[in-house]
Amino acid sequence: MTPPPAVSVAELMRPAPSPADSQANRDLLSVMGTPGLGYWALLILCVVIVHVAGAVWVYQVYEGLGIAGYSHPVFWAAYIVTFVFWVGIAHAGTLISAILYLFRSKWRNAINRSAEAMTVFAVLTAAQFLGIHVGRIWKSYFILPYPNQRGLWVNFKSPLVWDTFAISTYATTSILFLFIGMVPDLAIARDRSKGWRKLLYTALALGWQGSSKQWKAHNRAVLHLSGLATPLVLSVHSVVSWDFAMSIVPGWHATIFAPYFVAGAIFSGFAMVLTVMIPVRRIFGLEQYITEYHFENMARFILLTSLIVGYAYATEYFIAWYSGVEPEKTSFWYRAFGPYWISTWIMIICNAVVPQLLWFKKIRLHLPSLFVISVLVNVGMWFERYVIIITGLSREYDPAVWGIYTPAWPELVILAGSFAFFGMFFLIFIKLFPVVAIAEVKELVIHEKEHAGPGHEGEFWEHSHGYEETN
Amino acid sequence: MPQFDRREFLKLVGVGAGAGVATACSDPVEYLIPYVVQPEVVTPGIPNFYASTCRECSAGCGLHVKTREGRPIKLEGNPESPINRGALCGRGQAGIGRTYHPDRFQGPMRRNEKGDLEPAEWSAALADLTAKVKSGGAGVFVLGGDPGATASVQIDAWVKAVGAGGRVVYDPFAPEALRAASRLVFDVDATPIFDLSSADLVVSFANDLLETGISPTEHSRQLAEARDVRTRRDGGARFVYVGPRGSMTAENADEWLAAKPGTEGILALALARIVVERGRGSASDRSALGSLLDGFDVDAAASATGLEADSIRRLGEALAAAKSPVALAPGVAFTSRRAAATAASVLILNQLCGAVGSAVKLPPAASEPKPAASHREVLALIDSMKSGKVQVLLVHDADPLYSLSPSTGFAEALAKVPFVVSFASLPDETTARAHLVLPDHTPMESWGDVSPRPGIRSIVQPTFRPLYQTRAMVDVLLDVGRAMGGTVAAALPEGTFQALVQAAFADTDWRKTLAMGGVFGEPPSVGPVSLSPDVAKLEIEPPLLEGEGEWTLVAYPSPLLHDGRGANLPWLQEVPDPVTKIAWQSWVEVSKATAEKIGAEVGDVIAVETPFGRIEAPCLPRGALRDDVVAVAIGQGHTVGRFASRGGKQTPGEPRGVNVIAVLPSATDEANGRAWLSTKAKLSTTGRSERIAFLQTHDNQRQRQLAEAVPVSALAAAPAVSAAPSGGHGDPHGGAHGDSHGAGHSDAGHHEMLLPFDAAKDALPSSFHRWGMAIDLDRCTGCSACVVACYIENNIPIVGEDQVLRGRVMSWIRIERFVGPGVVDFVPGRPAHVDNGKLGDTDIRHLPMVCQQCGSAPCEPVCPVIATYHNDEGLNGMIYNRCIGTRYCANNCPYKVRRFNFYDYDHENWPEPMHLGLNPDVTVRGQGVMEKCTFCVQRIALGQQTAKDQKRAIADGEVTTACAQSCPTDAIVFGNLRDETSRAVQLGNDPPREYHALHMLNTRPSVTYLAKVTRGPVEA
Repeated sequence: MTPPPAVSVAELMRPAPSPADSQANRDLLSVMGTPGLGYWALLILCVVIVHVAGAVWVYQVYEGLGIAGYSHPVFWAAYIVTFVFWVGIAHAGTLISAILYLFRSKWRNAINRSAEAMTVFAVLTAAQFLGIHVGRIWKSYFILPYPNQRGLWVNFKSPLVWDTFAISTYATTSILFLFIGMVPDLAIARDRSKGWRKLLYTALALGWQGSSKQWKAHNRAVLHLSGLATPLVLSVHSVVSWDFAMSIVPGWHATIFAPYFVAGAIFSGFAMVLTVMIPVRRIFGLEQYITEYHFENMARFILLTSLIVGYAYATEYFIAWYSGVEPEKTSFWYRAFGPYWISTWIMIICNAVVPQLLWFKKIRLHLPSLFVISVLVNVGMWFERYVIIITGLSREYDPAVWGIYTPAWPELVILAGSFAFFGMFFLIFIKLFPVVAIAEVKELVIHEKEHAGPGHEGEFWEHSHGYEETN
Repeated sequence: MPQFDRREFLKLVGVGAGAGVATACSDPVEYLIPYVVQPEVVTPGIPNFYASTCRECSAGCGLHVKTREGRPIKLEGNPESPINRGALCGRGQAGIGRTYHPDRFQGPMRRNEKGDLEPAEWSAALADLTAKVKSGGAGVFVLGGDPGATASVQIDAWVKAVGAGGRVVYDPFAPEALRAASRLVFDVDATPIFDLSSADLVVSFANDLLETGISPTEHSRQLAEARDVRTRRDGGARFVYVGPRGSMTAENADEWLAAKPGTEGILALALARIVVERGRGSASDRSALGSLLDGFDVDAAASATGLEADSIRRLGEALAAAKSPVALAPGVAFTSRRAAATAASVLILNQLCGAVGSAVKLPPAASEPKPAASHREVLALIDSMKSGKVQVLLVHDADPLYSLSPSTGFAEALAKVPFVVSFASLPDETTARAHLVLPDHTPMESWGDVSPRPGIRSIVQPTFRPLYQTRAMVDVLLDVGRAMGGTVAAALPEGTFQALVQAAFADTDWRKTLAMGGVFGEPPSVGPVSLSPDVAKLEIEPPLLEGEGEWTLVAYPSPLLHDGRGANLPWLQEVPDPVTKIAWQSWVEVSKATAEKIGAEVGDVIAVETPFGRIEAPCLPRGALRDDVVAVAIGQGHTVGRFASRGGKQTPGEPRGVNVIAVLPSATDEANGRAWLSTKAKLSTTGRSERIAFLQTHDNQRQRQLAEAVPVSALAAAPAVSAAPSGGHGDPHGGAHGDSHGAGHSDAGHHEMLLPFDAAKDALPSSFHRWGMAIDLDRCTGCSACVVACYIENNIPIVGEDQVLRGRVMSWIRIERFVGPGVVDFVPGRPAHVDNGKLGDTDIRHLPMVCQQCGSAPCEPVCPVIATYHNDEGLNGMIYNRCIGTRYCANNCPYKVRRFNFYDYDHENWPEPMHLGLNPDVTVRGQGVMEKCTFCVQRIALGQQTAKDQKRAIADGEVTTACAQSCPTDAIVFGNLRDETSRAVQLGNDPPREYHALHMLNTRPSVTYLAKVTRGPVEA
């Protein structure tokens, strides 16, 4: 047999790219260029921390959970706090991709890829904490309902089973979402790469040629996935919140938990997007594509969800007082003025007070301030879960067994490991895949050319409507 | 031969290595090996019980030793014994730990030239000892506690036969003052026996009778009987405690008069005077008193004792009005140098109230079975040792180096003895200095007999072959004597110690007596007595205390560690002190005012300084302590022992806690007994601070319906509760049913049920059983016997001080201690204060908290893998194999009774040979699983199987849990809630008192609590 031609026929048939097109391609793909020293340093740091944390986890499996700081009656602690934290982080991606997509908020296009990637990595990070937390990781598959020779079944009444479904569904959907959305961009990357990258992108691009039929199918797929993912944005964190709300622990057993947690999740998710995207934009020179306008919009979201979260805090206290239930009252009094008062006030100040600065447009447009606020929000949201879980458990109904919990070093190392794990994936991602959705941004760039003159960047993002979904 | 090339070789090596690695990963397979010749009495899976006697203190409770496949695994009380009637305290339960102790001497040990103990052969060790005894002659001395009646007789005979210098009986807590008082007051040289069961007013003069008295289990039961509110709706006997510290006994009193320590005699005589003024006491007694009472008017007593005159007057009137009052003389902690006179005053009060002869029995002097311990003789022996007169010292049944004050100079004296022999089976401070250790059997392995008081001769019988190369002390002595030959051998009796014990029971049917556990008779009584004319000459004054300090040092026996002998038993370390809820540690109790004065807070290490020494321990400010007193428990501060010390196993290491005996003088009272209340102390801060291992840090129940109380007046209108007498353990006939009355109390229709849940679902509707409990808080004293019983029955691991500090204790039952309804102030940054009890406050409630086996259990729906589930008989089952350790169940349990295996306690916390004592019926839990109280489901199963084999239903009382079985006061009653006639239902049906803990959560517990009854201060 003769070897196939070196260049595929399809490639030969492709028209030459337009100049505008190639400018965007060049800018956006340059992110994926040869990494610098700083990148490698950061990546190696992350990999090392992940390995250290992994070793600590292996040690924990070997020794027992006793090496963590658990103290009767606090049976859930830093691991579950971190789990809920990462599940929360995972929410912005889907919100941006799915809900804003359905609302035709075109400004999302610049950030949706990175947000979706963060979603996937955050869910993967979070899911690990379920394993880290359980006492017998080697038996944790018992929680999966499948016909088995053990003759065992799971307890569908248990919120933890719901949780397992919620997290696995969310992980699957968000991975699909990320991947499907990325296919056209992968094709672009395929066309411009060599060597192993070429092989990788060729495989992942699924033979994308940019034909109108493919675009139609792609847009349909994205639309349907958006429809599927939209309820998940609300349901996943609702289910996570039911881990708490379905119990009878004072401070957990509250009807507001689902909306409270969802708002908190979006809040922390947007904050994380800001925390990550502000440096990425600066480092890779993406100012033209991710503009202050995007950041302002996200800041508005943060302000809105901060108000919801602050309102939830107030409601919790009000209901605790208004219910007249003594254990409930005591639990909340203890939250604010007991041994964990520092955590509580960090939570209130970071989540409900500091974001009020975003009422000012100047601050919304001032990226260093936004960055600081977003970091504070992330800290505050970790402490929110800490406060809810730890203070709730440490003083329940029987005062004879009230206790105090302090995190132990393995928990802190594994917490650091979770950030490194997330960071590691994100760093690999930005060098391997287009971090800004090229195709979608290009649509907008084309629109800009057609409808607006140069120098109206902000305008074009705002007025970029009229794009026909089914062209 | 086929071609075998390099590749083939490498392949095979690879496969072989892979297979080797793969198979090495799993645990080795273990097989159950059947008996080749099955012993006649052993049926695998069926326990055998042997009657024996507890040797943990001098009370001499009867035992039923439960053995499985030839190994003793648990101790239960002997229902035949009139002392404990089937119950057994925590110390007694833990006694089994001596047999399986990892520190045990496995054979004779001899000290080599380097100064280390090394194993020796028995023959060589005996030859060595024989030579030393022969050459020692009158320089041979025996020092030790009570080895039992026959052993005591034989030791005396041996001492005489070999011409030894003598035998000194040493018991740190011997009630010598009381015996001396009996001599003084009645001319009867015997220890009076107190019977509280028919009293209507009990006054304890600083006697902690419920935890460390002469016979705690017996007195706890008697007091509970006298105060039984089931039948006596007026609340029964009133109980008054006089003493400076809020001990467990004080917490159980109706009224606590916090008198200055050592002034009990003054108070007793002031009360006696009121009693006499009200016309009680015979004419002859009054005349015998002469002018003794003249100096003891109420006001003088008030100023001497620090009490209010009104309280004294009120108590005096109550004593005068009571039909059968009884007063108890000060316990060990409050024996001052004037202890005999103080005890005499209390006996005088008893005589004037008419208690002597009924509640206070005086046996004839000749019947007194125990040799008198004498502290003065011990001091004389120490002098002989110092002067070099003692050549050979044989030490048995005591650890004098720990329990004698250093100011006696015992350590220096011991160094001067050329040959010290110890018969201890476990290493202690004294064996660490011995030249020869000839380990005795533990009580599980040895013969013996104990006579705790006249009329009772209780047998100690071995329950299995000795685990190691140990020998009975008396046999060793007899062998030594026989080896000496000549007149010595001739003077000694024939036969072994076992034969001698049997011979002591020649007057009875040996087999029957052995099965029964001994001879249990009523004590003989001397008949009516009158006061000796000598009492008029009694001098009753405040105690003589040495030192300058501002505070009187009260060194009190630890309720669990006793005189320190319990310190090396892990359960007694891990179960917290009933009052302070501290485990594994020492602490210094001061009043809150004192703490403020010296500027110390909880956990700050403070120094207690007396002219005799200085100790430092964390400070525990308590409300329930006089301001002029500082209290430290005796029992910690050992330097030897794996559990007793922090460092040492057989050789001394870092001590655990502090030994308060180190700062006490070598004081002796006027009756030659040991004076424990003997010095004043100075306190100062050290600037250091330590974490205290509290198992409970909040004693305020915040009105959450946990430990409830009702005033006695609430009972008056309600009908009495009738129930059949206690079934006792393993007695199929114990379940004679009382009359069912009223509407009944099925769990299907509890009258407090607020929400329309279907309680019939709590157990399968067709099930005959729904297991439940009635727990009576009015009877619970907080003694924690149930906690130790549960630990041993259910193979609960001991986690140690470090884990206790992290709050990871594994106990399935705990005694929660709440101080009244109370109010807690939140102090940011510090744990809430530990003790809100006030001086004189007795509204303290001890609440045994077990798994409530809820009908609507919050733990069940949250488990994702159905590891915890509801069984047909209403129990919350726990399947360890299914558990993946999400711990959600523990979060959702409002009673917080679930415990998590944070480590692999299965493999790590049962050092050999402790694993031999595990209960084979109970799974040892592995790492990462949750565990909890199962209502001793293995005992239920055994009962069900037995009943099924005999084609009958389980009788009420036939099956009971370990906690209920051990309870000295019958506070926990287990039974079938679906049987209207069961005791648990009958006793639980007491509307003024019954409630469910945390009732507002509607968990429908199967445990019904009965509220404590507050009887209020005594009135005439």
